[in-house]
Amino acid sequence: MDQAELIAVLRDHQPTAERPANILRTLMAIEERFGHVPAAAIAPVARALGVPEADVAGVVSYYPDLHTKPHGRHILRLCLGEACVANGSSRLLADLKPRLRIGLGETTADGRLTIERVYCLGNCAVGPTVMVDDQLYGRVTDAQLASLIESFR
Amino acid sequence: MRNWRASSSHSDEGLAARTFDRPDAATAHDRMITIYLSNDTSARAAGADRLADAWSAAHDIRLVRTSTRGAFFLEPLVERDGPNGRLLWPRATPEDLPRIRNGVGGIEVAAVPFLAEQTRVVFAHFGEGEPLSLDQYRRHGGWRGLERAAALSPEAVIEDMKTSGLRGRGGAAFPVWQKWDIARRTAADRKYVVANADEGDAGTYCDRMIMEGEPFRLIEGMLICAKAIGADHGYTYCRWEYPAAAATMSAAIAETERVGLLNIDGRPVRLEVFRGAGSYVCGEETALLSSLEGGRGMVKVRPPYPAVAGLYGQPTVVSNVLTFGTATEILARGGAWHASLGTDRSKGTIALQLGGRIAQPGLVEIPFGATVREVLERFGGGMAEGARLKAVQVGGPLGSLFPESQLDMPLCFDAFNEAGAVLGHGGLVVFDDQTDMVDLARHYMTFTADESCGKCTPCRIGSVRARELLERIESGRGTTDDMALLSDLGETMKATSLCAHGGRAPFPVLTAIEHFPGEFTKRLGAPEHER
Repeated sequence: MDQAELIAVLRDHQPTAERPANILRTLMAIEERFGHVPAAAIAPVARALGVPEADVAGVVSYYPDLHTKPHGRHILRLCLGEACVANGSSRLLADLKPRLRIGLGETTADGRLTIERVYCLGNCAVGPTVMVDDQLYGRVTDAQLASLIESFR
Repeated sequence: MRNWRASSSHSDEGLAARTFDRPDAATAHDRMITIYLSNDTSARAAGADRLADAWSAAHDIRLVRTSTRGAFFLEPLVERDGPNGRLLWPRATPEDLPRIRNGVGGIEVAAVPFLAEQTRVVFAHFGEGEPLSLDQYRRHGGWRGLERAAALSPEAVIEDMKTSGLRGRGGAAFPVWQKWDIARRTAADRKYVVANADEGDAGTYCDRMIMEGEPFRLIEGMLICAKAIGADHGYTYCRWEYPAAAATMSAAIAETERVGLLNIDGRPVRLEVFRGAGSYVCGEETALLSSLEGGRGMVKVRPPYPAVAGLYGQPTVVSNVLTFGTATEILARGGAWHASLGTDRSKGTIALQLGGRIAQPGLVEIPFGATVREVLERFGGGMAEGARLKAVQVGGPLGSLFPESQLDMPLCFDAFNEAGAVLGHGGLVVFDDQTDMVDLARHYMTFTADESCGKCTPCRIGSVRARELLERIESGRGTTDDMALLSDLGETMKATSLCAHGGRAPFPVLTAIEHFPGEFTKRLGAPEHER
């Protein structure tokens, strides 16, 4: 974690009269910048916002999209919302794990891909849905998922 | 009910294909052709971007990216202007360009039954305009609600909302006018309007469609509410899973401000998009406000209700995106007009979102009162090819499962309430006969346990224990005692949880057991003392 960059993020989120301290917004900015919220960021965030460290740690542990460790170069999220489940997304996931030799929340040995589950991406009418980084793919078949995985290096 | 048994034919065949002979066909290649293609997330996920990329080099094509019609089974769909309105080419591929260019094989949008038979109010112009064009929004009737509200007193705005009979569309179905009136009457230095855009119920996407397709509609609705309660600050709490919706909303807010429309009665109103971080419970209003303040998304005991003491302790109206989106039409057309649609106690239209193993998944806006079966047959087109119906989940992960024998339920708040079910946010997910109900029940409880905020014991501990019981039953080691315990636990969670997450989570599981008991009992192992 680059200290200067952390300081820049914290400066942007300094509480003012108009904008009270907001732990989640600050941590989301850190997640966006560093790809995760390093444990070493908790104390500086607490100091900058004038809140207890426990509050910051509590927010980090609460939200699924605040990661505590770095993830792979790409994140593949498989939708397990019911509309996708009805169209076979749990089976896609079950096949994916042995193929990549990792479980949910884990990263491939080459650091290329992390897989996560997500409960609904609002893409229910064209499921099953897979999201890689910011890009959504609908009506995903086994074969498409296999080639999709290969296309992200 | 033939539709349910047999595989239904693909939707395209049911549509009347027509050829549009362009009068200027000879010169078609010399002229620019405007092609409309949706920029909605689901249209893109279905391949719209692939078409846009493939055709970007065609010099005679002007590609306009629009909102979506919500007929997602036809996406990616391409449109052109025709003599009687738009023509569409469903499930288009890059190779279809010559046909589209020559106007061959286009279908009149007005001739698509899925669209023509709906009563669209909020979604009337979806698929026509560019989401960030204020001019087009205005041309489609936008901003009239706000203009009328501006000329009325706050009391008169709320009176109109009362006449309309509008109930919150997020799931709780609370009378909207009451919330607004309480916030209006509560004296405070600052009041807030918050749009709940944490559309977390699996199987729902109409809020996403509004934010991506007609973002100015949400802004207009929020400004009307700001006028009614006297607020000058507003937030759209948008879930993390909707990056395109958040970006479009932010751009629309900036555009509204740029043209000087972000104010009410000459008073500036500050609107902002706040992004969530993947917590389902943040769709509950008190948890949402905790999250908006930057903390853990924990549910709070009510009262006080947010309309009295909400964001930073100030009076706050938290309403669903679709609720604000409907308020614009109510102010534009009058409360009595809205009250003339729907049933006695469910006024207006319901936005149903069809998904799962259905032939024609998509958005269906119709007056309250049609039965589940009518909707699935008439709009859903029956089951997906080769599939047979097993159950329909209505109302998201906190809703209930309906077997085929119960599909004659009318879609309105009271009928669902009487049956102990909820309409939730209008999601209908269809499961086929390949569905393992024990596995599905375990899935629901895994979700509940994953997403419990942990504030109250019945939900925090109960959901984990219920998941464990279901895992045991699924593995073949469950007993009849486990079934009894599961039912008991479910009843306890219903009666004692702090919010709807724990209170409603047992419903899909218990209705699965109620309607498909055999699937559970046949998985039970021998009692321990007999092993």
